[in-house]
Amino acid sequence: MSHEGPESMDRGRPVSVSTTGDASEFEGEDLVIGYPSAEEPVVDGERIRVEPGAVTALVGPNGSGKSTLLKGLATQLSLDGGAVHLDGRDVHTLDTKELARKLGLLSQENVSPNSLSVEKLVEHGRYPHRGFFDGLSAEDRDAIERAIDLAGVDHLRDRQVGSLSGGQKQLVWIAMVLAQETDVLLLDEPTTFLDLHHQLEVMEIVETLRDESDITVVVVLHDIDQAARYADYMVALEDGSIYARGPPEEVVTEELLADVFEIEATVEATDWGPDVRPIRPLHEDAPTGSPSDSQE
Amino acid sequence: MASESAGATDAVTRHRRVLDWLSESLWTVVVGSFAVVFVAGLTQVSFGAFTMTLVEAWQAVFNPDVIFDPQAWRHFVFGSEFPVLGTELPEMNRRSLVVWNIRMPRVVVAVLVGMNLAVSGAIFQAVTRNELASPFILGVSSGAGLMILLTLVVFPMLSAVLPLIAAAGGMAAFLIVYAIAWKNGTSPVRLVLAGVIVSTVFGSLQTGLFFFADDIGVVQSAIAWTTGSLTGTGWEQVRTALPWTIIALFLSLVSARQLNVLLLGESTASSLGMNVEKVRFLLSAVAVLAAAASIAVAGIVGFVGLIVPHMVRNVVGSDYRKLVVGCLFAGPALMVAADVGARLGLSVLLGSDGQMPVGIVTGLLGGPYFLYLMRKQERMGEI
Repeated sequence: MSHEGPESMDRGRPVSVSTTGDASEFEGEDLVIGYPSAEEPVVDGERIRVEPGAVTALVGPNGSGKSTLLKGLATQLSLDGGAVHLDGRDVHTLDTKELARKLGLLSQENVSPNSLSVEKLVEHGRYPHRGFFDGLSAEDRDAIERAIDLAGVDHLRDRQVGSLSGGQKQLVWIAMVLAQETDVLLLDEPTTFLDLHHQLEVMEIVETLRDESDITVVVVLHDIDQAARYADYMVALEDGSIYARGPPEEVVTEELLADVFEIEATVEATDWGPDVRPIRPLHEDAPTGSPSDSQE
Repeated sequence: MASESAGATDAVTRHRRVLDWLSESLWTVVVGSFAVVFVAGLTQVSFGAFTMTLVEAWQAVFNPDVIFDPQAWRHFVFGSEFPVLGTELPEMNRRSLVVWNIRMPRVVVAVLVGMNLAVSGAIFQAVTRNELASPFILGVSSGAGLMILLTLVVFPMLSAVLPLIAAAGGMAAFLIVYAIAWKNGTSPVRLVLAGVIVSTVFGSLQTGLFFFADDIGVVQSAIAWTTGSLTGTGWEQVRTALPWTIIALFLSLVSARQLNVLLLGESTASSLGMNVEKVRFLLSAVAVLAAAASIAVAGIVGFVGLIVPHMVRNVVGSDYRKLVVGCLFAGPALMVAADVGARLGLSVLLGSDGQMPVGIVTGLLGGPYFLYLMRKQERMGEI
């Protein structure tokens, strides 16, 4: 893992994180993504280009298509149209293991046997790096140590996953995708359902990745405050379309909160990005709001 | 970062890993199961229609003239007609002949069947992520059962190759189930549902065929095959099952890590770079091969494949690297012990010299033990 982070920046935003050229280019063109069971695609003809080496947050209300977009980018859903390119290559044509060495995804919900130990779970992150008969190489073990270290779960390593709290489990799962050592990391709502302490722990890991590595991170966040604070770039979705994109200062506005999130709120610029203070929900008869249908 | 220290601790961690794998709990299963197989096997070879005293029987079992005779082993393993390696049975006394040529192979067949069924069930439980999965969940037993009935009732001239037809029927049913479940890929639920439906249809056909059996002997033979029986098995059955058993069990042992990753769920497995559909199909095929090998020599022995993986998981946890090894020992333990009951039970209880199908005893023996575990453990049955 290289360490050429932009150390001179005090808070790291909104200055575009100057990439060293090692960070991976990751983009999707004309994406049409839907579920086999539904007629209409959820995401219809969107283009997204992720800033290499930076943290990009996807935000939007429930059913706006942010998780769908992420799954399409991660090849978990097949595309009905368009293409996703990683360093110029179409990810849907890459060999599954080759892709998994470059692109990691942490799903929203994860299951594992209760009796599995934390260390063994993190070990599974090395799956794409191992051949069918390969044992763990020294390199694998180093990667596992780094991941455990970065996720701060060293004290849990001999525990059984079933005995952990929800927050601890999430950190352990993050350690697993970190052990995958990919160039691009996609996180699907990693902080939802966690207590505040573990939410901050998770976001601290994201911050470390941004500051100390070339990993390109795309994270779906429910909490717009969190997104504004930790992301270099934000992409706001509404009904499967990208409503706004750019640095948090430009994206998080009172107007966007009314249009996309259907809330009345005040936005105040602070040292750690725009601070959102929600006031009340806007209803359908409100001038700016459009009726939302939940499209989970 | 950690690379300097990693070199120094390398030997230590490797040592720890080996210890971890050969954990105490796994040893308990291995040693305990081995003891059961040994005691039950010894019982099995000591008693029977040909009477001899225990001492005579054990002298025959541990007869060095047989144990250390390569020619005898070549005959047992390869038979008389196998090119180069095959050979005739060497001369031995009558007691050794009864023990080694009649009673012992039945124990060996039970061991092989137990291994195959237990490992097959363990694989299907991971592939379908379903606690209720058994080797027969994807229609294998119904396909085999239907072919057994068809052969016995409609095509009796084919009964010489009945074992092969039964195994082939099981595999064909598995392929039908897979084809039905496939729609842009499969899912565990679709597979299990298709398996249940195909089993029901084939089961009805099988029951229907019983009406056309006019001979009680045919019906009894059909029941023995569809409940599972080791009556009359010899070294020939060992030779039938052994090659497929070796292949299937070797593949399951080396696939343990794939099974562990499958347990993390489809989306995690595929984001880790596993081609889930391919791996799922290949692992199912290995499990079906193991099940078919046991069907070919013993018929459809129920229950072993369902409960043995649970018993072992209950002790060693759900790590398949330990679970598969545990099943290799615990499966034979249940099977050999049950066969003692099947072979000698009726004569002890009723004084008759009849034998029961072993499939009846596996249920009678395994069921209560499983219930006992379930009452004792809170989290029984979780994968």
